[in-house]
Parts: sequence; C-alpha cells; structure tokens
Amino acid sequence: MKVLLVEDEQKIADFVCSGLAARGLTVTHCDNGHAGLVQACQDNFDVVVLDIMLPGRDGLSVLKAMRSAGVATPVILLTARNELGDRLEGLNLGADDYLAKPFFVEELVARIQALMRRLAGDRQNTLQVGHLTLDRISRQASCSGQTIELTTREFSLLEYLMRSAGQVFTRSQILEHVWGYDFDPSTNVVDVCIKRIRCKMAPLLALGEMASGIESVRGTGYRFRQPVGVTLAPVVSSSHGAP
Amino acid sequence: MRVSFRTRLLVVSGLMVGAVLSAVLWLGWSRVLAFEVERLELRLCMEARRLATRPFQGEELTRLEADMVNKLHLSSPEQLTMRFESGVNGSHFQSRNWTAALALSGSQWQDVKSSNAVQEANVRPDGPPPRPGEVMGQPMGGPPPEAGTCALASFSTNDLSGRQWRAARFTVPTGRAVVAADLAATVSELQGAFAQALKLVIPLALILTVLGAWLLSAFTMRPVNRLRDAMKNVTPKALDQRLSSAGEDREFKVLIDAYNTMLARLESSFQQASRFSADAAHELKTPLTILQGRLEQALRQSVQPQVQAELTDLLDEVARLSMITRKLLLLSQADAGRLALHVVPVDMSAMLDELATDAQMLLTGQTLSCAIEPHLLVQGDAVLLRQLFNNLVSNAVRYCLPGAWIKIRAQALATGIEIVFSNAAHTTALVERGRFFDRFYRGDVAHNRHIDGSGLGLSLAREIAHAHGGELVLAATALDVVALRLTLPRRRSAVVDPAD
Repeated sequence: MKVLLVEDEQKIADFVCSGLAARGLTVTHCDNGHAGLVQACQDNFDVVVLDIMLPGRDGLSVLKAMRSAGVATPVILLTARNELGDRLEGLNLGADDYLAKPFFVEELVARIQALMRRLAGDRQNTLQVGHLTLDRISRQASCSGQTIELTTREFSLLEYLMRSAGQVFTRSQILEHVWGYDFDPSTNVVDVCIKRIRCKMAPLLALGEMASGIESVRGTGYRFRQPVGVTLAPVVSSSHGAP
Repeated sequence: MRVSFRTRLLVVSGLMVGAVLSAVLWLGWSRVLAFEVERLELRLCMEARRLATRPFQGEELTRLEADMVNKLHLSSPEQLTMRFESGVNGSHFQSRNWTAALALSGSQWQDVKSSNAVQEANVRPDGPPPRPGEVMGQPMGGPPPEAGTCALASFSTNDLSGRQWRAARFTVPTGRAVVAADLAATVSELQGAFAQALKLVIPLALILTVLGAWLLSAFTMRPVNRLRDAMKNVTPKALDQRLSSAGEDREFKVLIDAYNTMLARLESSFQQASRFSADAAHELKTPLTILQGRLEQALRQSVQPQVQAELTDLLDEVARLSMITRKLLLLSQADAGRLALHVVPVDMSAMLDELATDAQMLLTGQTLSCAIEPHLLVQGDAVLLRQLFNNLVSNAVRYCLPGAWIKIRAQALATGIEIVFSNAAHTTALVERGRFFDRFYRGDVAHNRHIDGSGLGLSLAREIAHAHGGELVLAATALDVVALRLTLPRRRSAVVDPAD
C-alpha cells in the first residue's frame, strides 16, 4: 500500500515514516505543500496523509487543488491548529478522515486500514484470528459455535487488538482508539474493559479451544496472542520536494 | 435599602417646586390681604365722612348701622362700631357697642394725605372727583359741602378675644366721626375666596409638580440609560464595541470617552491573554507530537520489559499533557468567542447511555443509577458535547465517596433538556463550592486523595454549555451532595458562531 505523507516537521515525518514502514506500508514524504500537490497528482497513492500547517501552501489548499484536479485519492488530515474549525473545513473540502496532533502512529495505521476497507467496499463482516471470530454486524465473538455478546466498547477494543494480533498496545493507545481522545477518566477503564472481555470469554477458554486471547504485557499494555508468526518487511521511500 | 437615584431626583425636584409654590402662595396671600385691608380702610373713611357730614338720630342711626354692615361686607353689627362728636354743640352719639378703648389718643391716628385712594373715597359714591381738602358741594344729595380730613388707625381690643380692628376718623369743622370695623370679617371673606381658589390650584399644582419632576428625572436619566444599554451589550465576545458620543451632552461625552478608553485597554489585554493561551497551546502541540511519536517508536523497538514499562509511563504523562493542552486551547477559543461548533442533531440519550456504561466500569463499589429519557435530541456539536459529558461523568466518578451513589438524570423540558449529574461527596463548604468552576481549581479532597485531573474539566464543560446556548450550574443541595445541572435548548439560538 502506498502512502504519501505531506508534513513539514522533519522529526514528526521521521517517526511516522518509520512507523508506517514497520507496518508494511510504502511511504513517500514531502515537506511542503507544493511538492505534495505535485506528488499527489503524479503518482498513484492509496492514501494521502496531509498536515494542515504547511509552509508555502497549507494542507487545506492542497486538498482543494487535488480535488479540483480530479484526484480522488483518500485524504487523512493531521490537524494541530484550531482543531474543530479545521476539521469542519477539511471534511467539507473532501477529506476522508482527520487526526488531531498529538497522535499515535498506531492510530494512524488503524485509520488508514479502516479507510482502505471502507473504500474497497470491504463487505467482510467477520474478523478471524486463530479460533476466535468476530462478527461485525451482531457484535458477537464466537469460538467453535459458542457465542458471546459484546458491548460496543468491548467489541471495538477486541477488534483493535485482533486486527494487529501479536502487537503490544499501551493503555493510552487503546484509550484513544476505543474511547476517543477526549475521554478523561484514567486509563483504568481499559483494564476494566479487558477484564470484562476476559470474563465473558472464560467459558470458551474453559473449553480449552482458545489458542489465542488477550495477554497482559507487564507495565506496558495488552496484546492479542498471535497464533502464527507473521513478519512484515518495512519499505520506505522518501522524496523531499524543493520548497 | 438605598433609594434609587431617580426616586431621589424626583423627590428633590418635587420638594423644590413645592417650596417655590408655597412661597408664591404666601406672597400672593399677603399682597391680596394688604390690598383688601386698604380697600376696607377707604370704605371706612367714606362711611366716617357720611357720618360726619350729616347728623343722624335714633332710628336713622340703626338703619345707617345696618347699611354700613352691608356695605362693608361684615357678618354682624357686632363687628362694627362708630361714634360722632359734634364740634358745634359738643353733643355726641355712638353705637351700642362703642368701647372706650376706641377713644384713641391722637398719636395713633395717621392722616391720609392726598392719594388716589382718598380721592376715590371722597368722590364715591357721589359724582365728579374733587381734590382733597377742597370745599365740597351740598350736604344733601350732592358732594359734601365741607372739607374734611381722614385719619386711619389700627388697634386691637383689650378683651380676651383680641380682635383686630381698623378705624377711620373723619374730621370736619362741624364735628368728628369715627367708624371702626373688625378685620376678622375681611380676613374670613378673603380666606373663603382663597380656599376656593386653592381647591383648584393645589391639586393642579401637585399634578404639574409630579409630572414635571418625573419628566425632569426621566430626562436626566436618559443618557445614563443609553449608556447602560450600550454597556450591557459589551461581552467578552464583543469587546470591540465602542459607544458613540455623537450628539451627547458634554458631561456625558467625557464619561463615554473615558469608558471607551477603558474598554480599549480591556480589549487589548483580553486579546493578548486569549491569543497567548491559543498560541501556547498550539506551539506545545508539535513538541508533544514528536515526544509521543518517538516514545511510541522506542516502545515498539525495545525488547526489555523494564524499559517498556518506563516508556509506557512516560507515554501516559504525555497523554495527560496533551489532554491539558487540548482543554486549554478549547478554553482560550471559548474565551475569544471562537469556539467553532459543528452543529448536527445529537441523540443525548444514546450518548449518556454509553457514558453511563463507561462510568459503570470505573466504579469501585459505588452505585450508579440512571434515569435517562429516551430520544432526547438537541442541535449541537457531538464532539464537544461528548467532551462535556466526559468531564461531568469523570468529575462524579472521581469525587464520589467509596460505596456511595452517583445519579444521572436526563429529562425533556418545555424549552430543551435538563441533565443532572449528582453524587455523594465529602462535605464541601459553600465558599469552596463557589470555586468549582474556577480554572485549575481542585478541591482539597482531590489533593489529599491524590485524585488526578487537571482542574479544567468543569470550566470547559460550562464554556461548552454556554456555546450551545445552555447553562451549567451547581444546584443548591445539601453540602455533602454535588449536583451539576446542565440545561440545553432544543435548538441552538442567539449564539454567535463565527465559524458559520
């Protein structure tokens, strides 16, 4: 999957590039709006990650020019300025999603994946890792014919972990993804929610059929145990346009 | 209680007009009285002349007396007394009520010199005006044949009644006549006439006084009221308004100019303060993003559990810092009146149910009860409203006593919806309660129990409520209960939204 990152802050661009590459995405980086627009119009990208505050030409103007040039590549905006105002304007101009700074790269990856699925018309309603299957419509987890009802939060959390099975997520990352960035109550809520999911899945575990489940990583967070090891080769390409 | 400025103005102007009116009335009364007394004296002179120039006997005298009573407008013969002394044969006659007191010594008598009034007295009622001291016509029918002088005196009787008298003495070579009349008759007659006039004048004067005073006070208050109305429109969101001093009086021009200057200073410092926090919050975001991204990266790359735990802790702190920054930015936007709302229909019931489920997970032995009416819809910004509820719920969860209760009640009102978050808490003094909405305020309890939180939540929640045209208040309850009542209008109205 090819991603175009338009971000003027080099340090931010560095970790985003390496983070996305680590998840198997091919990233092209531009550090100003003009170069970003040229790149977006020339190459075929799967998604453009566009910072709003850019030197030369700001993100919203790049987005507008892209859309009027007939480039329909999905766009995720990174906002730092007046969050809500930019969000509204961006969405009106045809952005597909937005992410407020500071953000987790994991969250950016999740957003890109969700966007891709949505645009690809992914009608796949189930997610399966090992023996555990999630049904997106009924919000049920099932294992060998036995099903458990999950609440919205529980389902969202389990899906987040299962989608990147094997990867450790911190409580903050989980909190941001499941509850949104404006959720105040401490990260305890993540622990409580995980405890509830485990309780609900206990009967399945008792059957001994669960080869996978949520693991606590001491001092760090949680991960969904991966039944089969999968390695992704990082691919990064970078092109810095002239300002 | 202090009487209002306008009332005082009304009273003072009323009193002043009243004083002027009384002075005018008093002056008028004394002038009219003096005039009437003068007229009485002239008549007395005339009557004395009549008595002096023609002798009267027995019955005639009684008729004369009755005639005089009538002419002098007296109410009874008691108020009249007279005496005639003949200079020819020394004979004299007098009325029945003649008293020796009236035998006045010469010094009390004042001669009436040639004046118009005396001329008039000499003339009336008989023909053309002669000059005083001139020999007049025939004793019968025509002008008096003899020259005479009239003298006047004023005295009071020695008896208990102390009546005031006016007397006239007419002296001719053939004799001397004295006629005196009680002043009471004239005064009472005048008083009657005056009272009749006053009956009409006083209510009219009162009405005019009140009306005038009211108009005057209204006129005085008009520029002040105009100023007040203009000042009312000045809010933190409209600090750029200036009052126009065009067409105002000089005194008020000075006041308006001083006020405008003050407003300009206020606006500039307010803008600086709000731009500062907006800029500060924005400038913090880039380093925060780098910090969070690098920590996330380091965490992903590290393999040592101890380092991972350390990095996770740091990430939590960064998240906390981000949250405070975000709230500060929202607050500074709200202060500057630039809190942009993306208004859509929001199902408050669904949002509250979801939050209640979250809150349920955070409780440690407390009981949460909800009474949320279904399908409560408002027009608002979903993201900001969620932030608002988050703040209220987390506040309730944080400060609720262990094992106590939390209640969430939401209901529709005629004009909008009302949502009350209440919980049992430590007893908080009224003074401390007043500070709940202060920024960075955290109760002593929070410090003692190491409850985390920024102290910005309630302040921000209130700003969001205001931006939606609603209100968030601390309800009056027992001191060991904290109840926050949020009211939101069904439709957002009368709220300036610069983003639209």
